[in-house]
Amino acid sequence: MLLARFKVSGHSMEPQIKNGEEVLVTGIIYLFKKPKINDIVAFKKDKKVLIKRIIGIDDDKYFVAGDNKNDSLDSKTFGLISKRQMLGKVI
Amino acid sequence: MNGRKDWDSMRIKSLLKLLPLKQAFAHCDIPCGIYDPHLAQMAAHTMIRMTQMLGEVKRESETKAEHDIARMTHVKEDHADVLEEELETLRNDYFKEEHFRKYPRLNDLFIKTLNAAGKARQSIDIKAAQEALAGAQEIAEIFFKTKGVKSIRVKTVYPTGGEIVLHK
Repeated sequence: MLLARFKVSGHSMEPQIKNGEEVLVTGIIYLFKKPKINDIVAFKKDKKVLIKRIIGIDDDKYFVAGDNKNDSLDSKTFGLISKRQMLGKVI
Repeated sequence: MNGRKDWDSMRIKSLLKLLPLKQAFAHCDIPCGIYDPHLAQMAAHTMIRMTQMLGEVKRESETKAEHDIARMTHVKEDHADVLEEELETLRNDYFKEEHFRKYPRLNDLFIKTLNAAGKARQSIDIKAAQEALAGAQEIAEIFFKTKGVKSIRVKTVYPTGGEIVLHK
């Protein structure tokens, strides 16, 4: 993904990203370097685009979680994210 | 120098606005199956009530009137948040593609209801608040159809009167 604009629905990334906030996502950055812990990323899951933070890396699999622990679902429930699912980094 | 930077930043922002806006989710989307259109209807009733009360504020004391207006506006704003959040949860998490195919007016109904909620939030507009409630009631009826239960409209016990959609 070159560059895309998303409106974020949900509270799981608050306070960094608020419900209704617009963010930019680019995949270009990951052509040159690998995603790293603490990156906020957009990825595809069940035809939906989700936004979470990388909190762990295992080879080319990424363990993601929301910042707002009261309102977020982490990778334990929907599994690790593969690089193929990754759309890009929130910038 | 700063002026030039601000101008460049404004131009970049304007260009970025040309990108199509897509939707991304940062929800708690644990498939718990606990969905109910009740809260959306209660929030719409509260918005109607706050709108009515804003029209009835007495001007005997300016300070008290300003204080009451501030509180009622705050409550109306909070319940617009609840209404929008509940509708978005139903639209994004509960209703699936097959529901939107089976009930073709469902998508327009969400758009119409969210627009009415936004209008009722921004102004003192009883008609918009009532439209938001009517939309939430219709969505509730479709919701109960998808659950295979019969919906009924019952008179509320709220000061707003009107009805609320429940199921048998």
